Amino acid sequence: MRRGRILGAVTATGLELHGVSKSYGSLVAVRGLDMAVRPGEVYGFVGSNGAGKTTTMRIVLGTLFADHGAVLWDGAPIRFEVRRRIGYMPEERGLYPKMRVGEQLVYLAQLHGATEAAASSAVDRWLTKFGLKDRARDEVQKLSHGNQQRVQLAAALAFEPLMLVLDEPFAGLDPEAVDSMSVVLHDQAEAGIPVLFSSHQLELVERICDRVGIIQKGRLIAGGTIDELRSHGPRQLWVDAPAAPHGWTDALVGARQVRVDGSRVLLELDPGADDQAILRAAMATGPVREFGRNLPSLLDIFREAMTESAAAAAS
Amino acid sequence: MDVIQGGVLHTVFLIVRREFLTRARSRFFIIGTILLMALMAGYVVVQAVFISKAVTTVNVGFTGSAQALAQPLSQAARSATLKVDTSTWPSVDDGLRQVRSGKLDALVSGDPGAPDVAVMNDLNPTVTATLDALVKQVVLTRALSTAGVQPGPIESKVLGAGINLQVLDPNAKVRTEREVVGVFVAILLYVALLMYGQIVAAGVVEEKANRIIEILLSTVRPRQLLFGKVIGIGLLGVVQLVLVGTVAVIAVLKTGVVSVPSIEVVSALGGLLWFALGFVFFALIFAAGGSMVSRQEDLGSVTAPISMLLVGTYLAYFWVVSNPTNPAAIAVSLLPPFAPVLMPARMATGDAAAWQVGVAIVLMLAAIVGTNWLAARIYVNSVLRVGTRVRWSQAWRGAD
Repeated sequence: MRRGRILGAVTATGLELHGVSKSYGSLVAVRGLDMAVRPGEVYGFVGSNGAGKTTTMRIVLGTLFADHGAVLWDGAPIRFEVRRRIGYMPEERGLYPKMRVGEQLVYLAQLHGATEAAASSAVDRWLTKFGLKDRARDEVQKLSHGNQQRVQLAAALAFEPLMLVLDEPFAGLDPEAVDSMSVVLHDQAEAGIPVLFSSHQLELVERICDRVGIIQKGRLIAGGTIDELRSHGPRQLWVDAPAAPHGWTDALVGARQVRVDGSRVLLELDPGADDQAILRAAMATGPVREFGRNLPSLLDIFREAMTESAAAAAS
Repeated sequence: MDVIQGGVLHTVFLIVRREFLTRARSRFFIIGTILLMALMAGYVVVQAVFISKAVTTVNVGFTGSAQALAQPLSQAARSATLKVDTSTWPSVDDGLRQVRSGKLDALVSGDPGAPDVAVMNDLNPTVTATLDALVKQVVLTRALSTAGVQPGPIESKVLGAGINLQVLDPNAKVRTEREVVGVFVAILLYVALLMYGQIVAAGVVEEKANRIIEILLSTVRPRQLLFGKVIGIGLLGVVQLVLVGTVAVIAVLKTGVVSVPSIEVVSALGGLLWFALGFVFFALIFAAGGSMVSRQEDLGSVTAPISMLLVGTYLAYFWVVSNPTNPAAIAVSLLPPFAPVLMPARMATGDAAAWQVGVAIVLMLAAIVGTNWLAARIYVNSVLRVGTRVRWSQAWRGAD
């Protein structure tokens, strides 16, 4: 059962960060960060190197202390008993190279609070799932890189975690491993566990995540579902009117041409502009082969957000 | 929730068990321990052989009437370090052949009042002097008889005359034995503390170097990890010392090298107690040092000063043991960090009074409390800092 507390009208469950800041000397790693990862949700943390993703994750886990702000779990300040049951995969992977796979996983699960019996059966289950059951008695260092990654993920899962925090879990994985990793993350989220992960691979984040947070220089510059982020920017339309004369878009009211791709043009609409008027104008030039919303990719959104935030910082 | 458990003690127990078992099962430990046990048994046996070699046996052959001297010689010359084996030979030539072949050290022939003694090049001085005295006595007895005097009363008077030996230290032999045991205890403790301290430091760096420290510290408090490691590796050291010590005690009892076996038992128990105290003290310092670097290659730079401290305690032993009553030497042996090596050694030599042992233990415990506070602080502040060597100011304040 999940303990929830009513904050205003919302039941705050899962993880919340409120105004979290952390500096290393004069370098501000994280500033005034607010974010939430809800149970059953896969949250993708996106940002360039040094943006503050790892620092934020370490603050959640308690291996770093925030200078300011609060980390809440189910609406109350997070306690050690909760933290020790977070499944964590650090960016710098780490296992005892000379310890046997099975033994090591059971040990780590026990440290996270599982009983020996529960740990053994969970380790057995995950190793079977990852096809590593016959390697349980091998030393970790004898496994291939990809298999070591799987063991690392199993280390974060084998104790029935309350939450998953995964720092660049997809880094260095082959496409097949990426797929099985995403399946695992979704299964965990479906089981009601908040999943927070960071990644550079934006198309991957776009595919897997329910919600995304874009972090730059320690600040969350955009956050929400992919759809919310998309609706944030200006509306854009792709129009393909092959018979239209050059410059036909100049006459349009409330729309500017921003790109040309053969006979296709990309139009950016002013707020409140009537797209049906544009469709009629296009059809007046001849046949219309394509007319549709341009959905920006996460990469576009990311670039946009970065540019906006840079502009805001400059002004 | 029945799948969840884990108080602080249970976590420390898990860490202790891992630290102990992974090392105890390693080939390095098993082979090392067997080797140490063999070395220890070998050392004691070699000592025993040396001690039996200390008894010199002189083979003296007699022929003809000189045989009268054989029994008096073997009786008069026998002592703790000298044994005279006598034999008789049918002819001088037979006997000389034996001397030449080395089977006899000397051949005594001819008149007991003026015997010929044939040797290869020289003869044991005690045997020579005893033989000389016996011959003089024979001549004296004959002269007295010739003069018509009864030799009996005079002989007994002469035999009764002699020096009065005053023994100042009847325990001198025991003392030497104890000093041998004391040096041994000092060396063993010094080596054990140095070795196991380094193992602790290497264990700390291992976790930093392969980054598992980040996972561990997301679920375990740094102090639990530190104490679990120190206790686990310390137990390993205790097991090794008990195994090696048991072999030593058994070997000593079997060979009879030490005349008072209780010295061995006291030394062994004292050694164990002081290993435990000294280990906790030094292991915490070694762990703090280890937490300040991120690679095994850099470990030497932080552990070298700690090792030097241990070398210092070992060197101090020789000064302390040769000045057992010097107040400064006694004082040094009471103080951390010297006590863990000096005190058990002084206990073995029998120089340490009970109150001194008590004071040393109390001071050591106080030092452990202080070191614990300091080392844990450095460890907590340093162990997650990966990269270059952590600066002292960072380790101390924890700030960046």
